[in-house]
Amino acid sequence: MPREIITLQVGQCGNQIGMEFWKQLCLEHGISKDGILEDFATQGGDRKDVFFYQADDQHYIPRALLIDLEPRVINGIQNSDYRNLYNHENIFVSDHGGGAGNNWASGYHQGKNVEEDIMDMIDREADGSDSLEGFVLCHSIAGGTGSGMGSYLLETLNDRYSKKLVQTYSVFPNQMETSDVVVQPYNSLLTLKRLTLNADCVVVLDNTALNRIAVERLHLSNPTFAQTNSLVSTVMSASTTTLRYPGYMNNDLVGLLASLIPTPRCHFLMTGYTPLTVERQANVIRKTTVLDVMRRLLQAKNIMVSSYARTKDASQAKYISILNIIQGEVDPTQVHESLQRIRERKLVNFIEWGPASIQVALSRKSPYVQTAHRVSGLMLASHTSIRHLFSKCLSQYDKLRRKQAFLDNYRKFPMFADNDLSEFDESRDIIESLVDEYKACESPDYIKWGMEDPNNMMTGEGSAAGSLDPKSEV
Amino acid sequence: MTQTAAGFENLIGYYEPPVQELIVIDEVLSAMVGVEGRYISIKTLRGKKDEIINFLVDPSMDLALQELAKRIFPLCRSFLLINQFVESRSQFQNGLVNHAFSAALREFLLDYQALVAQLEHQFRLGRLSLQGLWFYCQPTLKSMQALSTVIQKASANNFSGSAVLNLLQSQAKAMAGDNAVRLLLEKMTQCASRAYMSILERWVYEGVIDDPYGEFFIAEDKSLQKESLTKDYDAKYWRQRYSLKDGIPSFLANTAGTILTTGKYLNVLRECGHNVQVPPSENSKLMSFGSNHHYLECIKAAYNFASGELVNLIKEKYDLTGKLRSIKHYLLLDQGDFLVHFMDIARDELAKKPDEVSVEKLQSLLDLALRTTAASVDPYHEGLTCIVERSSLLKRLGTFNVTEVSQRDSSNNDILEEPVSITGLETFSLSYKVHWPLSIVLSRKALTNYQLIFRFLFHCKHVDRQLCGAWQTHQGVRALNTRGTAISRSSLLCRSMLKFINSLLHYLTFEVIEPNWHMMYTRLQSANSIDEVIQHHDFFLDKCLRECLLLLPELLKKVERLKSMCLQYAAATQWLISSSIVLHSPDESKADSLGTKQSKSGQALKSASRNAAVTDSILKFEKDFDTELQSLGSILSSSSQTEPYLTHLAKWILGVKLEHKGL
Repeated sequence: MPREIITLQVGQCGNQIGMEFWKQLCLEHGISKDGILEDFATQGGDRKDVFFYQADDQHYIPRALLIDLEPRVINGIQNSDYRNLYNHENIFVSDHGGGAGNNWASGYHQGKNVEEDIMDMIDREADGSDSLEGFVLCHSIAGGTGSGMGSYLLETLNDRYSKKLVQTYSVFPNQMETSDVVVQPYNSLLTLKRLTLNADCVVVLDNTALNRIAVERLHLSNPTFAQTNSLVSTVMSASTTTLRYPGYMNNDLVGLLASLIPTPRCHFLMTGYTPLTVERQANVIRKTTVLDVMRRLLQAKNIMVSSYARTKDASQAKYISILNIIQGEVDPTQVHESLQRIRERKLVNFIEWGPASIQVALSRKSPYVQTAHRVSGLMLASHTSIRHLFSKCLSQYDKLRRKQAFLDNYRKFPMFADNDLSEFDESRDIIESLVDEYKACESPDYIKWGMEDPNNMMTGEGSAAGSLDPKSEV
Repeated sequence: MTQTAAGFENLIGYYEPPVQELIVIDEVLSAMVGVEGRYISIKTLRGKKDEIINFLVDPSMDLALQELAKRIFPLCRSFLLINQFVESRSQFQNGLVNHAFSAALREFLLDYQALVAQLEHQFRLGRLSLQGLWFYCQPTLKSMQALSTVIQKASANNFSGSAVLNLLQSQAKAMAGDNAVRLLLEKMTQCASRAYMSILERWVYEGVIDDPYGEFFIAEDKSLQKESLTKDYDAKYWRQRYSLKDGIPSFLANTAGTILTTGKYLNVLRECGHNVQVPPSENSKLMSFGSNHHYLECIKAAYNFASGELVNLIKEKYDLTGKLRSIKHYLLLDQGDFLVHFMDIARDELAKKPDEVSVEKLQSLLDLALRTTAASVDPYHEGLTCIVERSSLLKRLGTFNVTEVSQRDSSNNDILEEPVSITGLETFSLSYKVHWPLSIVLSRKALTNYQLIFRFLFHCKHVDRQLCGAWQTHQGVRALNTRGTAISRSSLLCRSMLKFINSLLHYLTFEVIEPNWHMMYTRLQSANSIDEVIQHHDFFLDKCLRECLLLLPELLKKVERLKSMCLQYAAATQWLISSSIVLHSPDESKADSLGTKQSKSGQALKSASRNAAVTDSILKFEKDFDTELQSLGSILSSSSQTEPYLTHLAKWILGVKLEHKGL
């Protein structure tokens, strides 16, 4: 059972999208709600063992850890139809059940306190796999548990399993409307630092965009969390199809990510999916061809990250890399033609400092899930416009920080004790340099970025990892 | 009856002409069945080659009678010749066709003799004059003469088998003006060919050669065994076990190929232990081959039956498409997860030198990898075996090209240059056990082609893995701000290399293998005979081989060079990065500088000057790689005129750069 992936779902949002993800995987692999393989699903050809393992009685158990500091969502899962699917030893709910109060510091601190319990669970799962490839973390970055405890877990995983990959599916908060979580900008910023430094790949899912897609594409007037979460689970399951339905390429996570991620820090990916349907609603069924799908994937309205860029900036934005995972009945000769067409029409604006093109992975579709469309596609892309999302986070943080608002909640915890707010500043610096790096990617001579002056040596002396800005030279 | 008169006088001229006529009629009737008389004698002269039979008459005979008698002599001569022929050709060594022909002739002679007897009867009744005799002989004369021409030719050339049939047929055609003679000759042909047709019948209905005298036009080479197909590169068994000989009967000449394959297919069916049961039908007898071409239809029907049956057998019982799909999973990496696992667990073994690699160990690791991945549900994965070859792919292709295409001798010398140290990674290959009768399609040659493609893909995958490793090494240092350092430069180089190898793999799989396989698969669905199947399959392999650059040594060498650069770089990354880090963060423990991705924080990047060496070597890698890639690009664009598919590759590898450079 090689190249297994362990999923950690942390916090309310993490567990909700996690639950949807497992539902989807069970459907696709023909696994019943109790983890038993359905009679119709024995012909195989798929790889269930990447995400599941089999108990002594052959029923399938997700390689998943359900972690939360408050019991509500996990109780919900435990009372749902899927209660027998999960390994109950893998469920962690904090004893007091009080949650993290939407406070990153609280989540982080509590994470530290229960580290041993959780690492025990992780170690057990890791030991149970033949050659663990890595971890997938689902969480949101705005609240307390997913962001704070998630951050702590990221650091710990990085430390303990330095050779393993860590991929996250991170839900960014809705930044268009005022949130009920006022400290969301703080939480986001602090989490973003860990996402930058401690994850190998972050799939950015932006609630604003998810809502927009639900309204515009799915024609839901008031999308519920369950509905937007099912969008997330669609993306998660689609992005793992090449691992679960092996093909020519991208049969391991590292292969999948390595071709997408240009430099160690620019590892934030945007996604797009088409065609979207939620629970078999009477949507207009469209004709789907490879070209249609690829073309739609490039349209901003199908991208699950909002674009905060101003028009001028938006025209500068460039794709660094694109992987289209096309599922369904595809005539392989269509792929080349479609790429050709997209190239001719100049539909994609690629970076100029290196070779770039749309990569395509053709993947089988689950035979057990009936869909109205013949072809569907997921795009994973590294795009420089993601920096505007981070800039937005920074500006919201700056606004709040200027007012010195709500900082007391954070000072209660060791990291910020004695009014030591350097963690905030450090995080801010890191995010800012990340934004700069993405910005630099838009320029044709990114390759020389930071190397302008060849006669000086690197003189930067940083006080903290990554926060320094060395002017280096050759 | 003329005893007394003859007693007096030996000369016929002694008698009155009316009496002479009676004598002559009597003598002529005897001569017609080859019996000498008193006044008509038969002289056989031995010529150089053949015998010349002459009839002599008593010169004293009435001239008018002489003339009439001499007119009848050719008939007598023909009778003698035919009779002789019948006598001599009835011996067993002359073959079935001659036997049948002789029998038919004998029957004909019986009719003739009956005619003579009737004439004699008329004569006895006193109703026959010599004129009358001549008149009655007219029809037979032509037939006998035509036949005697035939047999003279046949015996002069010592014809047997199909040559006799051909002779008869051509003679019949030559006589087309004379209906009676033509009909006779056609009848003779038919009778003579009856035996031949039954040989043919057994062949096209049963696939058996029942040909004791070697008359049939298909030869069997029993020394070629079907088992040899799995080893013999030229598939001699399939191509040469049954072959056409010279001397195909002209009426079968156009269908000879069909006949050959029909029996060949039936033989395969028989060899498979499959009961060959031709559907019974009253029209299936191959007795006649007249102008109605019934026999051609029969042969066609037999062919359709045999080829349909065989294709069905191969497709249904032996599940050809299943096997092909399975081979595609493993040798063309269509289901590549097993390879990921295999390369994980066999890493150490494959890194050894080719002669130190333990094939048994690799085999058990391969089996393990197959059992634990998606391949486990494929019942055919057991056919997969490991091989470690002696030489690298380039060298192998060098020899391959020589034997296969025998082209460009001069270029061979460069091809043969071997990388300094090759390991199991360069020489590893998979093989697939193929059994009769699938070995007809998946011949040694086909498998070799698959293996060549596999080895190329495998090595690309290896490069890809090493680069992914290098990528992960870079990921390990993301906690450090690497802006403007050699590390960030290096990570971009890593990206370019990954891009290159991924593009190459993309091209090979999605642009070459998958569409071509798809096309072959569709064609196979409608293939009606196994030869068509072989043809489509071979065409697919040839096309893949060519489009995978394996037949273009110049390009392949460039690609191999780029790959080896990638490997060198990947191998150096660990060192490059760790020396940068050590230099950057001197107070970090050197031992775990890589192990802990997340440096404890707060490490300064110092003394970049000291890592000038590192930077230099990265820049050198970068420069070399770019130069090489550029030159690959120009070769691609210059070769794409003759090999249009190369533009696809160029687009993949050079990406948007291509348009910028206007290539």
